[in-house]
Amino acid sequence: MPDAKLSVQAVAARELVTVARSRAALALFAAVTVVVVGVAFTGNADPRYLPTTVDLLLPLEVVVPAVAVALGYRTIAADARRGELDVLETYPLSTTGYVGGVFVGRAIAVTLVLGVPLLLVGVGLGLTTTESPTVLTAQRGVDSPLVFVRFTVLTLLYANVVLAMALAASALARSRQSALVLAVVVLGVVVVGLDLLVLRGFVGGTVGTDQLTTALALSPTSAYRGLVFETVISTAVGTETRQAAPLLSGVGLVLWTGLSFVVTTAALASR
Amino acid sequence: MSESELLVADAVSRQFGDVTVIDDVSLSLGAGQLHALVGPNGSGKTTLLQLLAGIDNPTAGAVSYEGPAAARRIGYLPQRPSFRDGFTARETLEFYTALVDTEPAGLLARVGLADAGDRRVGSLSGGMRRLLGLAQATVGDPPVVLLDEPGSGLDPGMRRRMAELGRELAADGAAVLYSSHDLELVEDHSDRVFVLDGGSLVERGSPDTLRDQYGVGNLWAVFEAAVDSAGGELDVIGVSE
Repeated sequence: MPDAKLSVQAVAARELVTVARSRAALALFAAVTVVVVGVAFTGNADPRYLPTTVDLLLPLEVVVPAVAVALGYRTIAADARRGELDVLETYPLSTTGYVGGVFVGRAIAVTLVLGVPLLLVGVGLGLTTTESPTVLTAQRGVDSPLVFVRFTVLTLLYANVVLAMALAASALARSRQSALVLAVVVLGVVVVGLDLLVLRGFVGGTVGTDQLTTALALSPTSAYRGLVFETVISTAVGTETRQAAPLLSGVGLVLWTGLSFVVTTAALASR
Repeated sequence: MSESELLVADAVSRQFGDVTVIDDVSLSLGAGQLHALVGPNGSGKTTLLQLLAGIDNPTAGAVSYEGPAAARRIGYLPQRPSFRDGFTARETLEFYTALVDTEPAGLLARVGLADAGDRRVGSLSGGMRRLLGLAQATVGDPPVVLLDEPGSGLDPGMRRRMAELGRELAADGAAVLYSSHDLELVEDHSDRVFVLDGGSLVERGSPDTLRDQYGVGNLWAVFEAAVDSAGGELDVIGVSE
């Protein structure tokens, strides 16, 4: 029997090549690079790692989900529309193998589209900052490349959580139009929907002060923001006030990813 | 059941809500045989092929594969084969062959697309895409090959070539079933014909047997006699009486 790993690799490679040959994806990459590099260096009087991280956090809360959804929302729906999912059912490729391959291929694409601009920013900061790069953030209150590395890693993790959600939407879609609608729904829910829900609960008294960090951990964007505050910014500036629950935020992101995979696989199995 | 039967459908039915699209169909596909499935539009040919391919599940009855162990048991050509536009014909087949751990060499040549291997799918004509679809259906040398209207949209020469390819696959030992509206082609290129009408198999047999049975000179006359809506209005399953 064929090696399941090779099949997953084949699916992943197909996704990656599809993105690489897409003019829209290249335009997206160029736009993201302009935005990220622009925010990092334009009008930034303090080109150091920590201030730049703070400057980038808010724009990336919108840019990251937009990129992940844009690169993921059509892929499975398009395979279904073309009848390729039907054809693939006659091959020794499991549903989980297909989903895994699609995710891996698109995750590499998402990671490159977001990671390369962030790498450029990191290199640019390295060339312009006057701080000694040998000082680590373990020493509180100092700036260091590690601040930006942590921020980049968290950003890419967050992007791939949203990608998993976008693939679930793509698997649920039954047409090009419904794929677009579900993509907008995912984007809306991730960027503002869940945060507004938590805020509404907090204002209405449903969510108490002591439950707020837990509730925020359930929103992917808040979880990401919380993790950045707790493991990047607070560590660097040495604040004692807790902004979020890092462990719960991490668990929240893992749960969103797992749930998305379950929905994707179930949607494909029930076609 | 004969030892040479590779795929067996036993009392298969498929309902969508209250509508029965396939009703109690039993058939078997023999190794080395070229089978044809004919029937009016909307008679359930595509649904039956999808049930046989394992793409859809019957609501009653069962389809069982009785052939030898194979990396890919059943090859399938959908009615409107479509692939990613940005890939070349060769790359498309390389992807599918990777799933069964084989090489794509010879597949394009077999369907007459050797010279178009480096052309993007997006620039292939409808007929060439169908040929690429046929090549895909044979990836991994599956013992059973199911082709949904392989000649649709092709010129008469290419249609004949498709049928000959089906014959070649059968000569290599595969059980091949294709659906078609071209009864003349079916008459010349099939060992066994299944006639589907309103979701039920109304006739089956070799073209010779069917002609003799109805005392007519060609398969079209058999079709006219066996199928309620032949030459008349379209029967719509679940609507027409």
